[in-house]
Amino acid sequence: MNDARPMTDTHTIRLATKDGQDFVFECAATEDIVAAAANAHIFLPVQCRAGACGTCRATCEDGAYDLGAYSPGALPEDAAARREVLLCRTFPRGSLSLVLPYESTRIATENAVPRLANITDVVEIGEKTLRLALTLVPDERLGTGVEFEPGQYMELKVPETGVTRAYSLANTPNWDGQLEFLIRLQPGGQFSSWLSSDAKPGGQLQVRGPFGCFVLNQGSSRPRVFVGGGTGLAPLLSMLRRMADWQEPHQAHLYFGVNREAEMFSRPDLERLAVEMPNLRITLCVWRPEGDWNGFVGSPIEALKQDFEAGNLSSPELYVCGPPGLVDATDSLARQFGISGDRVFSEKFLPAS
Amino acid sequence: MFCYQCEQTDRSSSVAGCSDAKGMCGKDTVTADLQDLLVYAVKGIGQYARRARALGVPDREAGGFVLYALFTTLTNVNFNPARFVSLLQEAAQVRDRVKAAYEAAASAQGVTPETLFGPAAWQPVADMDGLVAQASVAAITSDRDRVGDDVIGLRSMVLYGIKGVAAYAHHAHVLGYEKDEIYAGLEDLLDFLASDPVDLEGLLEQSMAVGRLNLTVMEVLDAANTGNFGAQQPTSVRVTPVKGKAILVSGHDLKDLSLILEQTKDKGINVYTHGEVLPAHAYPKLKAYPHLVGNYGSAWQNQITEFADFPGPIVITSNCLIEPAPRYRQRIFTSGPVGWPGIRHIANGDFSPVIQAALALPGFINDVPEKTITVGFGRDAVLGVAGAVIDAVKSGAISHFFLIGGCDGAAPGRNYYTEFAEQVPSDGVVLTLGCAKYRFNQHDFGDIGGIPRLLDIGQCNDTYSAIKIASALAEAFGCGVNDLPLSLVVSWFEQKAVAVLLTLLALGIRDIRLGPSLPAFLTPALLEQVVARFAVKPITTPTADIAASLRQAA
Repeated sequence: MNDARPMTDTHTIRLATKDGQDFVFECAATEDIVAAAANAHIFLPVQCRAGACGTCRATCEDGAYDLGAYSPGALPEDAAARREVLLCRTFPRGSLSLVLPYESTRIATENAVPRLANITDVVEIGEKTLRLALTLVPDERLGTGVEFEPGQYMELKVPETGVTRAYSLANTPNWDGQLEFLIRLQPGGQFSSWLSSDAKPGGQLQVRGPFGCFVLNQGSSRPRVFVGGGTGLAPLLSMLRRMADWQEPHQAHLYFGVNREAEMFSRPDLERLAVEMPNLRITLCVWRPEGDWNGFVGSPIEALKQDFEAGNLSSPELYVCGPPGLVDATDSLARQFGISGDRVFSEKFLPAS
Repeated sequence: MFCYQCEQTDRSSSVAGCSDAKGMCGKDTVTADLQDLLVYAVKGIGQYARRARALGVPDREAGGFVLYALFTTLTNVNFNPARFVSLLQEAAQVRDRVKAAYEAAASAQGVTPETLFGPAAWQPVADMDGLVAQASVAAITSDRDRVGDDVIGLRSMVLYGIKGVAAYAHHAHVLGYEKDEIYAGLEDLLDFLASDPVDLEGLLEQSMAVGRLNLTVMEVLDAANTGNFGAQQPTSVRVTPVKGKAILVSGHDLKDLSLILEQTKDKGINVYTHGEVLPAHAYPKLKAYPHLVGNYGSAWQNQITEFADFPGPIVITSNCLIEPAPRYRQRIFTSGPVGWPGIRHIANGDFSPVIQAALALPGFINDVPEKTITVGFGRDAVLGVAGAVIDAVKSGAISHFFLIGGCDGAAPGRNYYTEFAEQVPSDGVVLTLGCAKYRFNQHDFGDIGGIPRLLDIGQCNDTYSAIKIASALAEAFGCGVNDLPLSLVVSWFEQKAVAVLLTLLALGIRDIRLGPSLPAFLTPALLEQVVARFAVKPITTPTADIAASLRQAA
């Protein structure tokens, strides 16, 4: 669901395993083969990723390449002369065919297996917004674990219609098969129509995933600022719940906005988080309040800007999810206040085409 | 970042050492810098703790913290920079507590307290960026231009040995065994390093002090293991899966394994050992659990594929962890000193999240035909048949013993150890210690008159057992250990191995064959000294080294 990065000057890489399986993907001239494979969800056995351990040795059968710096212990001179390479140090100069010294089972492809899930709850939690709760149907070979990184999404497919949509998970990884989604109903949308009229507890959906790389930068201890618009709250809720569950000590501030007060949702969940996380501040924003709204009036961007200007945010990382306008505006604001691009993590919610 | 503490350190340029954004182990520059700073902070604790002890106010709790903190900085243990931020704050608090006790004792005894500088005076800032900025003072190369590579190399050897000592002492500590002599020894060594020593002879002498201290630690660890779980017994261990729910325990920590076994009792979950936990099967009180069903996988460097294939949760209790792959990232757990950002850490010995995962995950769907290996030839088992062994040597049935000890790793050069074991003559016995054995421990070596030709003494943690066996045999033959028909072939990878090597050298054991490559911190001049004083030999080829060993013994 992230913006696709444009790739220029790419070459086709073909990896053949010992058991005769081929893995084909594109690799930019500036990218090493291990990284390019990972981008294509092909996870090769590697260890040091720095040309030192020799775990990723392979033999090039055809094509031109450059090798980055590596340790002779990992790739002796005579092996290099035989066109053996270290994939983590191999940069293509044209299409390449390589032979791997192991079987295809050694390669993780993360091929997500479709699972059936029972609908356990469908409830309107705000105007035009539903909470959909599912439970995986037990499977002897796959178990009941819901394994994902907070921030990732799943594909949901209606079995009868084949309509497929991607939604971020709002709950945390668990071993009980529980999946929770926050879904904005789109006027005239096929999935929305099905949800509104046909989705009932006891019904079933097919789920597949997880996908996506909008996840917490786990190694950092910087304050975390979360900016969510509408159901863009879902992945942020998952992240915050994980932080609460693991009692992570980071300072955190959530800016969550909707257009009208009637559209506000998940307040009890957020209030619970505020109790569980002493370091969490929450700013609820309504753009055009109609009643006696006593929260922030305006967009989450405006609330965030006020706090930046007041010096209330110290060198944070930003996690932003919602409509493209919100994500782009947060990006600009971050730049304006000197936060580099590598500290802004975002995901845009786009309506299905 | 500059780090050359392990064997796989970057040797792609003329100056060996990891100095890019990421080390060979996967440690990023922020984590590396914070680890250096933590070592610096721990030196500050040592400075005050040594003086407090001299005034009669030792602090065992501070000693325990020093062990734990240093263990987190070993190769493949803790990669979580956020964890180091809190450890640094804790280190300063511990140091301040020890300092206060020292000053109070000095005042009470009418002694003027010393004003200490360097690490003892360091004050942490609150945030990660600030701490990283502070770390330049703590880099092992901070004064290289002034003191030169030899001094930096020897200081590093002492430091890495200390890290290994601390790790072994931590293993004993969690099992309830500690000794003031260990804390005192570490405090002396940390205080010594805090003085930025430049005298090469002094540094060499202190590296022997590390080795001697480690012998004490290994003895205490041996007592901790056998005191808690009984003496190792030769035991057949299944190395193929059994149908059912499963948990895999990796690392070295027998305490965590025992907790997991107790907490999974009667829950329909089988527990498997991985890597260096394999010898656990030989301890009577651990093997008494019927659901400790077997050993899974091989040495640490294969974990990315082996863990991905394991159908249950995995617990890493100590080194060696490498970056968890996506396929098992949500079902791997760390405990003790181990950590990885975004991986669930069990800090309190309550493994219920692991049990929950095991029950939800599929486990092994089918039994795989049984295959076994035998482990558990600790000192009691071997010395129990010492008479038969001595007779076999005297009769010529056993010509030579080869102890292949140490760590495994991914480098292609480590095939040496497999080939070495396979080429040992049929009247030779192979003793193993550590995880290097995984390259050949499923081969059938047969026996000599009922004495197995492959005897596994245990983890690297069981080095004391090997030393006791060698000493007992030397006594029986009325000779020194160096005169026994015994050759030591050591495969080093990280700092525990440095500590063990220093112990062997401190005991005067000569002619150790060391590989697969020599430590990068040993400069050519230092290597010359080590070779001249201890006759350490870099490995060559298995054929040549076996022939040389046999010639030397003849």
